[in-house]
Amino acid sequence: MSTRCQPSDPAELAIFNALFAAVAEEMGLTLGRTAHSPNIKERRDYSCAVFDPHGRLVAQAAHIPVHLGAMPSAVEAALALAPFTPGDVVMLNDPYLGGTHLPDITMISPVFVSAGRRRRLAGFVASRAHHADVGGVAPGSMPLATDIYQEGVIIPPIKLYDRGRLNQAALDLLLRNVRTPDERRGDLEAQVAAHRLGEARLAEMVERYGLRPTWRQMAALQDYAERMTRAAIAAIPDGQYKFEDFLDDDGISDEPVPIRLRLTVQGDGLHCDFSDSAPQRPGSVNAVASVTKSAVYYLVRCLLDEQVPANEGCFRPVAFTLPEGSVVNARPPAAVSAGNVETSQRIVDVVLGALAQALPDLIPAASAGTMNNLAIGGYDPLRQRPFTYYETVGGGAGAGPQSAGLSSVHTHMTNTMNTPIEALEMAYPFRILEYGLRSGSGGHGRQRGGDGIVRRWQFLATGTLTIVSERRRLPPWGLAGGSPGQPGRNALERRDGQDIDLPSKCQLAVEEGDRLTLETPGGGGWGRA
Amino acid sequence: MAAILGVDVGGTFTDFLLWEDGRLALHKRPSTPADPAQGVLQGLTEVAWRPQAVVHGSTIATNALLERKGARTALITTRGFRDLLAIGRQTRPRLYDLAPRRPPPLVPDDLRVDVNERLDHSGQVLTPLDAGEVEALLDWLAEAGVESLAVCLLFSFLNPDHERAIAERAQDRGFYVSASCQILPEYREYERTSTTVINAYVAPVVARYLERLEEGLRSQGVARLAIMQSSGGSMSPRAAGQQAARTILSGPAGGVVGAFYLASQAACPQIITLDMGGTSTDVSLCPDRIPERTDTAVGDLPIATPAVDVVSVGAGGGSIARLDEGGALHVGPESAGADPGPACYGKALTPTVTDAHVVLGRVLPEYFLGGRLPLHVERAREALSTIAAPFDGDVLRAAASVIRVANANMERAIRLVSVERGHDPRLFTLVAFGGAGPLHACDLAEALRIPRVLVPPFPGILSAFGMVAAEPTRDFSRAVMRSIPSETGDEWRLVEDELEQAFRELAAHGRDEMAADGFDAQELSDRRFLDMRYLGQSYELTLPVDSLSPERFLPAFHTLHQERYSPCNPARATEVVNLRLKLVAPAQKPVLARLPDGGPDASEALVGRRTVWFGEETTAAIYERDKLRAGNRIEGPAIVVQMDSTTAIPPGWQAAVDAVGNLVVESRS
Repeated sequence: MSTRCQPSDPAELAIFNALFAAVAEEMGLTLGRTAHSPNIKERRDYSCAVFDPHGRLVAQAAHIPVHLGAMPSAVEAALALAPFTPGDVVMLNDPYLGGTHLPDITMISPVFVSAGRRRRLAGFVASRAHHADVGGVAPGSMPLATDIYQEGVIIPPIKLYDRGRLNQAALDLLLRNVRTPDERRGDLEAQVAAHRLGEARLAEMVERYGLRPTWRQMAALQDYAERMTRAAIAAIPDGQYKFEDFLDDDGISDEPVPIRLRLTVQGDGLHCDFSDSAPQRPGSVNAVASVTKSAVYYLVRCLLDEQVPANEGCFRPVAFTLPEGSVVNARPPAAVSAGNVETSQRIVDVVLGALAQALPDLIPAASAGTMNNLAIGGYDPLRQRPFTYYETVGGGAGAGPQSAGLSSVHTHMTNTMNTPIEALEMAYPFRILEYGLRSGSGGHGRQRGGDGIVRRWQFLATGTLTIVSERRRLPPWGLAGGSPGQPGRNALERRDGQDIDLPSKCQLAVEEGDRLTLETPGGGGWGRA
Repeated sequence: MAAILGVDVGGTFTDFLLWEDGRLALHKRPSTPADPAQGVLQGLTEVAWRPQAVVHGSTIATNALLERKGARTALITTRGFRDLLAIGRQTRPRLYDLAPRRPPPLVPDDLRVDVNERLDHSGQVLTPLDAGEVEALLDWLAEAGVESLAVCLLFSFLNPDHERAIAERAQDRGFYVSASCQILPEYREYERTSTTVINAYVAPVVARYLERLEEGLRSQGVARLAIMQSSGGSMSPRAAGQQAARTILSGPAGGVVGAFYLASQAACPQIITLDMGGTSTDVSLCPDRIPERTDTAVGDLPIATPAVDVVSVGAGGGSIARLDEGGALHVGPESAGADPGPACYGKALTPTVTDAHVVLGRVLPEYFLGGRLPLHVERAREALSTIAAPFDGDVLRAAASVIRVANANMERAIRLVSVERGHDPRLFTLVAFGGAGPLHACDLAEALRIPRVLVPPFPGILSAFGMVAAEPTRDFSRAVMRSIPSETGDEWRLVEDELEQAFRELAAHGRDEMAADGFDAQELSDRRFLDMRYLGQSYELTLPVDSLSPERFLPAFHTLHQERYSPCNPARATEVVNLRLKLVAPAQKPVLARLPDGGPDASEALVGRRTVWFGEETTAAIYERDKLRAGNRIEGPAIVVQMDSTTAIPPGWQAAVDAVGNLVVESRS
């Protein structure tokens, strides 16, 4: 138990928990409602959070789990630009300096309040949004890259706004390096709007409750989350649990990529040792440390009550050993775009596999284990403009001891919505031919795994297609005798009728009339049928 | 003058409110859940009233949906999209959940079928519909015992021909048919499909129920039956049978309509409503009109037809208080319900919000529900003592903390509809009703700096009053997807002409619909709205418009956007996504009779003094609401008791009884 913890008023814990969460949620609502790209406005691929003046997470709106543990490192990186002044907004996407992968642009802004004649730093608000294009060799900025320079424009922590004044030169430089500058500008403006609102809301809170009481509650809520987390960990039988799983490949060679975990549960603490995982790879499946931590924090969070805030306190009881220069702790200049979206899912599987030995009555079989990322970019002759489209497709959830797996759903590290087909076709040069359940793809067992999805596109213009997917060869595993789910499949039918089986990760030119089919993996089954 | 009866069927009670010649009469009786029509008809017999018209709000559609007792329903979609309903938006409702669940689709796998047809994004036919295929499909569905059919094809909001062709054939074959072009002709296929399917699923149940009820009422001399809609208007039983999805969220609508109407009569048209019942509290903000939204859901199933914009939080009188392992106090969303109910009902020992009020002396046992339900104060104390440890065993402090947390939950809801949408609560009146709303209203008003609280004369039955006040209304919409350049020019004239033309077509169709229900098409008034956004955004704001000239409505849109989301950019192009038309028939409005004047002295109504907790233990005066007269004034701390509610007036607040019996409570600071 943390020694810093002091008895807090039970009512105030609940009240301030809701107040801080409300700031993050309102920021998220504004961001989603004013953004321009479908990926943010329709699919809600973003997160917003509140931090204390030391840069420790206080509250995060529940949007995207992969952002959960990764936002604090962004704030930590931004702190290097201190001292701050009112109106500052720091922007970054550098995975090696607080980011996760380049499309995720994070903003951090200090919140100042006046205390007597002085201005005091009350805390920070932060947002992270997945921008569908940040340049690089392929539209969608999720290329089959071999180093990070190919993946897009890298933004180290810089002040996009300095004392409330826009750093126009920096923005111009950024926008000149992306394919869809208008959309980027709109999304960045939406992010800034969310910040201005969040800053005002946090300042209002301080005005109402006072600076010191607000700080005290920030700390109390972190201690509270820590107590709840430790209680949940203490309920896991002590022991050492090992598990390994593999990524299909890194998109460059066919060699599977092992991720190995030695999980130690001792009392109310966890230690995650990933020492024997693969060295970082030439492809983009490398995860930076904050992504690996996110995946672990996500599962810890799943063991807690819904009301417990996702904050710094949840992180304290968890320790890590992450080998430098590995797929779970990449070093520059490794490419990392798939680390965030795909490797994170496999890390979840590895932790689940280890935990299943300790908690056999709770832990489900492996889910689809991939976000089935797809990016298409090119020039739209009908609307006479360049376009970039990014979408992810759900799969089957793994079955658990008590229930069958859910079908056609985003699992674990993501929960983005699909783009309505009618919105898509009104905006982009392609047509959706089919969007249905992939019947029978869930693993058999006493509880059946959820089914994946079949989705088919027909292209109406030439463009560059990138697919980043997983579980095309090695299926999502079953548990307790349940069979694995069906692995996924990617196929292209050329306009001349030629059928091509596509690998899990690929980048190729498509032409008008070509048809793409994605069949996403089913979830693993649980128990002998 | 005609006598109008409002009948609000709830889960436990059915409320009757008769308005005749300026007078109101009230009646409350147990509901008859197996067939709610019985309770309505029996209630009418019990009181021997003779209304000419009955306006009815029921949970029949809601219950059919929640309990999954709707018709055997099939769904016809465009080829390749039969699973849209099962896939939804691909998300799980709870982010951190090792066993994620979603409600199963209303239409089972084998009854979701697709036909070979396709339109493109401009409504042009890519693949024509095959009449032979449709016939074969209908044969099969008839054989499968399908009663009701939902039809939802891609891009039907731009070109309804294919949907109409299928609907006509299916109607001829005797199916109940809900075609998306008639239920919700708007874009976003999943939400449209979901709404259409919900309609198909509940419509036959609603239609049969209304047939029974109408027949029974006719035999009792009632000439006209009207059904409450989610949007706060009423509609004919015929229309309700066809558009049943529009009645599903009518529950909270009655109260908001009643509050808005009553407050407008009291010259307070800008209100925030606080409707606190047993399990939840509904909050809405009316800026001179009743607000609507089109992105609601019931049991995680989206319904995109208009509904009164109400935010609901799980904080009611029965909300359960508990301490977690980390030492935080939670109130709700779990509720003790009506059975076993709060600990003070004597059946359980779970502490609830009501128990906290009892312990604090704010709810007086001898007056609760007119003394019909004896309350056990000791049980309430005992229940609260189970969570009193962190308060050094002090039951009063524990009880006060429960109220604080419940208030914080409600405050969040009020902030959501006011501050977070660009409204300053200081310009509003808080109208408090439901059994428990008036107990919390002044504390909430103080926290949000709302200067005035209005408590209607009959807070527990306001919803039935709202039904009497509801206007006969039909809502129509049409997707136009018209972009508007930011620069003035010829294009703007074109926009105006196109919108005008589209509205006229919509109005002609709407007038035909209402004429079919016996309304005089000449007497209907039009209210026009545009669903607008900046070109490139995905969410629309609904803007009421008098003029269709962009010169006039664009500035209003920029302002609205600024209010709601802060950024606004007049240099950006905009887009009109949908037209919305509300047709309203003239209706008699209930006017409350004046109370006899009693002057400022309220001592006639004073029935005693008690120790009550208002931040500390103080002596508060207790008044009986029924004995108050117009002009009476009450200084806080005071408690006003009545059969269906209790009003708490804290120190520093003063209440005045207005001419028709509303309690108007204002802060003296």
